[in-house]
Amino acid sequence: MNSLSRLIRAAGLPLLVIALTVPVLSLSHEALAQDKPIRIGLLYDLSGPFAAAGSVASQIGAQIAIDLTNERGGVLGKYKVEPVTADSQSKPDVAINEGERLINQEHVDVIVGVYSSAAAVPLASKVEEQKKILWITTAVATSVFKDRNLSYVFRAQIHSDQYGQAGIGFLTEHAKPDLGVEPKDLKVAIIYEDGPYGTGVAAADEQYAREAGIQIVLKEAYSANAPDLSSLVTKLKRARPDVILHAGYNPDITLFLRQAREAGLRFKMLIGNGAGYSQLDKLTATFGSDIDNFCDIDPVPAQHLDPAKLAPGLGDLIKVMVDRYKAKTGANDVPPHVSMGFNQTWILLQNVLPIAIQKYGGTDAEAIRKAALDVDIPVGGTIQGYGVKFFPPGTQLSGQNERSTPVVMQYVKGQIKVVWPTAIQNMPPILPLPAQSPYAVN
Amino acid sequence: MTRVDIFLLEAVINGILLGGVLALLALGLNLIFGVIDVVWICYAELVMCGMYMLFWLHVFFGWPILLACLAAIVGVAGLGALLHLLVISPILGSAPINQLLATGGMLFFLQSLATLLFGTDFRNIGLRLPVIELGDIFISYSRLLAFGTALIGAIALYLFLSRTYLGIAMRAIAQDREIMGLMGVDQRRIYLTTSAVGGALAGLAACLLVLQYDVHPFIGLSFGPITFMICVLGGLGNMIGGFVAAFIMSQIIAIGGYYFSIEISYVLAFVFFIVLMFLRPQGLLAR
Repeated sequence: MNSLSRLIRAAGLPLLVIALTVPVLSLSHEALAQDKPIRIGLLYDLSGPFAAAGSVASQIGAQIAIDLTNERGGVLGKYKVEPVTADSQSKPDVAINEGERLINQEHVDVIVGVYSSAAAVPLASKVEEQKKILWITTAVATSVFKDRNLSYVFRAQIHSDQYGQAGIGFLTEHAKPDLGVEPKDLKVAIIYEDGPYGTGVAAADEQYAREAGIQIVLKEAYSANAPDLSSLVTKLKRARPDVILHAGYNPDITLFLRQAREAGLRFKMLIGNGAGYSQLDKLTATFGSDIDNFCDIDPVPAQHLDPAKLAPGLGDLIKVMVDRYKAKTGANDVPPHVSMGFNQTWILLQNVLPIAIQKYGGTDAEAIRKAALDVDIPVGGTIQGYGVKFFPPGTQLSGQNERSTPVVMQYVKGQIKVVWPTAIQNMPPILPLPAQSPYAVN
Repeated sequence: MTRVDIFLLEAVINGILLGGVLALLALGLNLIFGVIDVVWICYAELVMCGMYMLFWLHVFFGWPILLACLAAIVGVAGLGALLHLLVISPILGSAPINQLLATGGMLFFLQSLATLLFGTDFRNIGLRLPVIELGDIFISYSRLLAFGTALIGAIALYLFLSRTYLGIAMRAIAQDREIMGLMGVDQRRIYLTTSAVGGALAGLAACLLVLQYDVHPFIGLSFGPITFMICVLGGLGNMIGGFVAAFIMSQIIAIGGYYFSIEISYVLAFVFFIVLMFLRPQGLLAR
């Protein structure tokens, strides 16, 4: 017993840490070889806590975009696309290893994917070093691009600063008419998981709230794997915010909402920021109607946009995406992550690769990089409504789409409704939480 | 009493209740280590298996919750025995590091198997227990239940180890495993029973955790490391030490979280752990 005790004290914890980070299982799948297919790495978290928080949904979206392209003959009707799937297991180190494997062993020029910002930040540097393309579909942290002058990493998806912009914009607009207080008298609490995603969203929330003069009564981070959030709930009860702005994944969101309910935490509104909050089916399975009227900020799930406001043909495309996702998963709700995976991949296959082939002579990283910078899609030109124009090298957010926009959604009786920006809303928001909500201030 | 005091009191109560959950987890792990001298790194994953059993039996097959709980306890006890027979028993004599690696391997095996069988979705048994309101303080019934069960479990285990023949034999083996064989005690049977009891405790923890947490293949990550730390802090194999350590850690987390932040509370807990390891490397209550 003594020898083992000694060993454990000496090596137990480090061992445990090593053990927990060793790759668990890696799924690799290759399509049938065709005549000169374009090989694309698909890197998502297919296992681990992020898998069910939107990563698998994104991957299915990306896969549907590839399938559809191939069914139409391929890129430009003749170059088939061959995805090489990899699983980053919700761990940044695995994401880097798998990214290197895709580049060095599978010899892909483009990696599409990345759910977690914690993986996207280091992976972006790795891929940039190797002068290959990282095409981010889902991870949102602004820090992936900010002041890093990346030239081979692109993201048509929104970035985390925009969550703050949307959330605070929404509150500023509705504080007086719906909550009955001037923005300067509105009290918000910002709570967030402590990875780059949560930290990025929270920093933006704080910045925009300060600019709008909104009071921040509590700002606190926690680990997404924390087994207990009750002290955070107690502090929220003490701080009595009108609105809680929350950026979290899944185990933490359910734990927080459950403990908040049990501890009698009351507020006028809760605004989630995508990730776990965009998995309406899963939240409903756990909380039923308790989460009715909560708000969530994310890029819009394409099926909630009015197809008439989009470019011709996109409405049908959205319908195919939704039908295939439902058929594949049996889900009722199609989370925004499906649109993220599909839309960004579709932009790559339909808007970037054709230019790369026709104008720059191939699908190598250099040709794709140049082609991406040429892309110019006006607002309404993608299934998620936003346009695409990437910030060029030398700018602060080089590689980020300058035309991306999120929306504020509200869960209304198990349905998602767009409530902000007002110009494209499905309905006006329900504010504050109605009295029947167990979280409502009486 | 000012409002702030009430909130602090609530944080302290929450800390005690969290301590109950952690103490229950530490109990089984300590029992196994004390008797068999093997650390089940995959202990929290056994709890996860129990939670899945409960979920399927109750939600999918519609068993009454108490029957499903009983089945989960028996089921995980069986898993514990199986784990001993298939994994631990063949390597009992080998270097401790090999045993650690083997049970560490089981951790990934169980996580991956659960991912394969059930997917990565979060599942919930949809049972909501009432909340006890004392003035401004709210106490979660499910946590109170976990706390009470942990206390009863600890007492029952104590009585079992001190009053029954089997329990005394287990403790005797923990003290001197060579001599007990010579005195005619069937070590294999004792080990198997201990593993089953350890498993049953994991099953019991599963019944209580399922009331507060969603089931998913990686739930073990939230509890495994801290349970292990508590056991080491209390002195691996020392059940009373583990019990006390669970409450110390949970109070540091709760009060630290209240005065600073949850992140800092974990930093404080780890600093406390490291300092204690220097001062009392044999554990908090080791003689």
